[in-house]
Amino acid sequence: MKKVHIIGIIIIAVAIGVIFVSLKNTSTYADFTEAIENPDREYHVVGKLDKNQPQVYEPQVNPDLFTFNMIDNKGVEKQVVLHKSKPQDFEKSEQIVLIGKMQGDAFHANDILMKCPSKYNDAKPQVN
Amino acid sequence: MTENAIVYATERLWAGQLGHAFIILSFVAAILSCLSFYLASKDQGYLKLARMAFNIHGFAVFGIAGTLFYMLFNHFFEYQYVWQHSNTSMNMKYIMSCFWEGQEGSFLLWTFWNVVLGWILNRQLKNKEWEIPVMTIIALVQVFLASMILGVYIFDYKLGSNPFLLMKEHPDYSHLPFVLKAKYESTARGLNPLLMNYWMTIHPPTLFLGFASTLIPFAFAIAALWNKKFTAWQSLALPWAYFGVLVLGVGILMGGAWAYEALSFGGFWAWDPVENSSLVPWLVLVAAAHTMIINKNKGGSLFTTHLLAIGSFLLVLYSTFLTRSGVLGNASVHAFTDLGMTGQLVVYVLTFMFITVALLIHNELFKVTYVVLSLMMMLAAGVYDYSKILLLIWLGASFVITIVSYLLYFPKQKEEEALFSREFWMFLGSLVLILSSLIITYFTSIPVINKLFNTEYAPPKVPVYNQWVIPFAILMMFLMAAAQFLKYKKTNAKQFLKRMLWPMLMALVFSLVCCIPLYFINQNNTAFSNWDLVSFALLFFTALYAVLANADYWLLILKGKISKGGASIAHIGFALVLLGALISTSKKVTLSKNTAQRKVSGLGSDFDDSRSILLTQGDTLPMGNYFVTYTGKRKEGIDVYFKVDYFLENAAKKKEFVFSLEPRVQDNPRMGRAPEPDTKHYLNRDVYTHVTYADLSVDTIKKDLKAFGTAKNFIGHVGDTIFASNAIVVIDSLRTNISQWEYEKNDSLLEVTAVLKCVDVKANVYRAYPKFVIKKSVVIPLEAVVEELGLKLVFWKINPVEGNIEITMSERLSNQRDFIVMEAYVFPYINVLWLGCLIMAFGSFIAIRERMRILKLKS
Repeated sequence: MKKVHIIGIIIIAVAIGVIFVSLKNTSTYADFTEAIENPDREYHVVGKLDKNQPQVYEPQVNPDLFTFNMIDNKGVEKQVVLHKSKPQDFEKSEQIVLIGKMQGDAFHANDILMKCPSKYNDAKPQVN
Repeated sequence: MTENAIVYATERLWAGQLGHAFIILSFVAAILSCLSFYLASKDQGYLKLARMAFNIHGFAVFGIAGTLFYMLFNHFFEYQYVWQHSNTSMNMKYIMSCFWEGQEGSFLLWTFWNVVLGWILNRQLKNKEWEIPVMTIIALVQVFLASMILGVYIFDYKLGSNPFLLMKEHPDYSHLPFVLKAKYESTARGLNPLLMNYWMTIHPPTLFLGFASTLIPFAFAIAALWNKKFTAWQSLALPWAYFGVLVLGVGILMGGAWAYEALSFGGFWAWDPVENSSLVPWLVLVAAAHTMIINKNKGGSLFTTHLLAIGSFLLVLYSTFLTRSGVLGNASVHAFTDLGMTGQLVVYVLTFMFITVALLIHNELFKVTYVVLSLMMMLAAGVYDYSKILLLIWLGASFVITIVSYLLYFPKQKEEEALFSREFWMFLGSLVLILSSLIITYFTSIPVINKLFNTEYAPPKVPVYNQWVIPFAILMMFLMAAAQFLKYKKTNAKQFLKRMLWPMLMALVFSLVCCIPLYFINQNNTAFSNWDLVSFALLFFTALYAVLANADYWLLILKGKISKGGASIAHIGFALVLLGALISTSKKVTLSKNTAQRKVSGLGSDFDDSRSILLTQGDTLPMGNYFVTYTGKRKEGIDVYFKVDYFLENAAKKKEFVFSLEPRVQDNPRMGRAPEPDTKHYLNRDVYTHVTYADLSVDTIKKDLKAFGTAKNFIGHVGDTIFASNAIVVIDSLRTNISQWEYEKNDSLLEVTAVLKCVDVKANVYRAYPKFVIKKSVVIPLEAVVEELGLKLVFWKINPVEGNIEITMSERLSNQRDFIVMEAYVFPYINVLWLGCLIMAFGSFIAIRERMRILKLKS
């Protein structure tokens, strides 16, 4: 067997390995219901801020803790504990993506992505 | 009607008409040039026409760019592109950035560089045998690029997006009231303030020049497949490949520098799809440049060279598709908005893949079958709804055909490379580059995979990328260090090992001395596993080894000659880039540890919630080894600057002022509030800060500071805590004057006193006794004021059913001092990265010059 063939086999093995391992560990987009069923897995949950529920951010107590309520795309509402400072323009967000897992009654997120409407053209949201 | 007639008379319609005429001319001339270059391959009489058409195309592209610049400079706001990307209030030094802020402008920039490179190449190629096929390919690429700004409707399909549309013609705006009243100037949106940065003036043109330069090795490789002359083009294309490596590499790092300076994700690299998709073509181009050298010197790696040269350009196209089609959606923070050109971009990528595969097939019948089947599949995909499945089948089939035609038709080397030969190690290095680019492409393409297979995978996060890429970086560094000491064909293994021992030993000793304290003793960052730490140490060692070995090779073997040392110098630079990236990222220190003691346990290291610090105006707090004071804010335009002073304690325990930083928050009308960092640069580290939460209002009216602010209500029990801005208030106990029984009997008076313990930041305790009084069924709360703390407390409600009480608290306005929430990091030795970038650019430049010299000597 030629060296090139051995290398080729190694490459294929690594490539398959990457796909397998990464797909097994990667987080997926989901809704709250799925996150509740698998409390220890990390998920990306897409939803909207519930503006009728209180948002608590008390930086004097803990600048890295912000709680609010989010309604996911299926209409399920959960309390969210974000372990970060309150994002700028949070109230204006029209879509939220949370990255985190379910712990007890609340969804604990370590990161957040927001989509904000552009000021001039509501038809085309711009990614913040 | 009359009003309209007057208003529209001021419109400078000639500009748009001129611009669009240039667009049509550039498109038609590109088609003509492509066709006549192709015909010239059969009859050289067409060559003159072809060259002329290409010149006209180039002239038209310059015309488009010139017209658009003229319109931007002179504020032709009746045009949508000018309206959208500039305004009169902006600083004119950023007007260049307006040009390429939009998709159309950036396509134009790319087309422009292709023209410039095409002209230089055409002059360089005196040999018609190469000129004809290479220029055919370049002209074909120009046809596609010119179509991107065509903005013409073919039946119902809009081909391209025209930057010369009037506001009143633009479907998104024509119905809006300010357009109907022609109020353009006052409404102009202007350049996104985040892009008002000098890096944004030079990063896009550099990056697009880099993208454009991948076209040349691609065109040569395709021409070689077409002519079936596989070996003659490498020496012609090699300086261009180096040029692409230089320009694209610098362009990518300039983007990193901009992100580090203007964005607040906390670093220079975030593995964002936009960054990845320019990194991958660079990695593949570097691999292509190396196999081209192997091929030139030894004759091997022929098929790989073609595949890589073609691949880097195809990946540039794929990157264009990823970042401009909107397919990334939530996955990227700075992709372009969708302009509805997804279909066009897909066709563009697939066409060039199709051409490549078709040219690989030598058998005419086989080739015709492939072409016909592909076209039929495309037609079927257009008509029926099976486009995903057909696309997957086509991709799979094309992949198989590529392998089959390699086995059947491609010239192969007879003998195998020796294990200890430079070409074998360089080939291994290229494979490592290919494999890492495959992995990065795979991770970046997860949104595409989701679309194709209806899956819901989320894009991987930064640590996942790092974990997968670092092992390849380690291998790459090792090969880069050792391969130079090997000779082509065969090297004496013993001699080789002896030669490479010294730099290796030096690197080993030095990295042991550095890495053990860095990664294994002082490691309190729980985000890293042991495996991470070992891989950091290994990368540290191999990168250092690569620096030393290449320096050794250049100084001792090449005798320090600059002109010969291009490769060694570029390698040193690249190793330094990785070393700087490794140290600054893995040893990044969070200065702004959260002072609150509410740790989240049990949620794992992902939920490390100590990155922010709350700074109240005037207070001095310890932060890392510094003491910091937030002194105040000021507003300048749309930016609010927050000034923070930094002090260090000297030997006499006195605080000495060191520097001030002014991170700002931009109230960006385009994308909301955007924090922009401020960084103190030292030679060996950067102190990097950004404000994550702050009140942007800057008050100028003086308030009565003695007055109390709005009251906040608190519901709770005995033992609970109320947080004031300067103290905590604990509900110690409740006392009643009489029992319930007495109250009912007397029907007169109930008095409940809340005993409140107020503890300020210096642990002084004050007590307050607000009373809840009911006199003949009327509630009369008696407030208590703690003068020392400026707190007013009112106990106003008892909820017997819930078993809790309600207290409101208000604070004197003088209490409510302004505060900010800030993150602060130290990036150690990040300058090694920027220095490495400069050295790499210098080395690549030397290598280009040397290759050009050799090329001239030959001809």
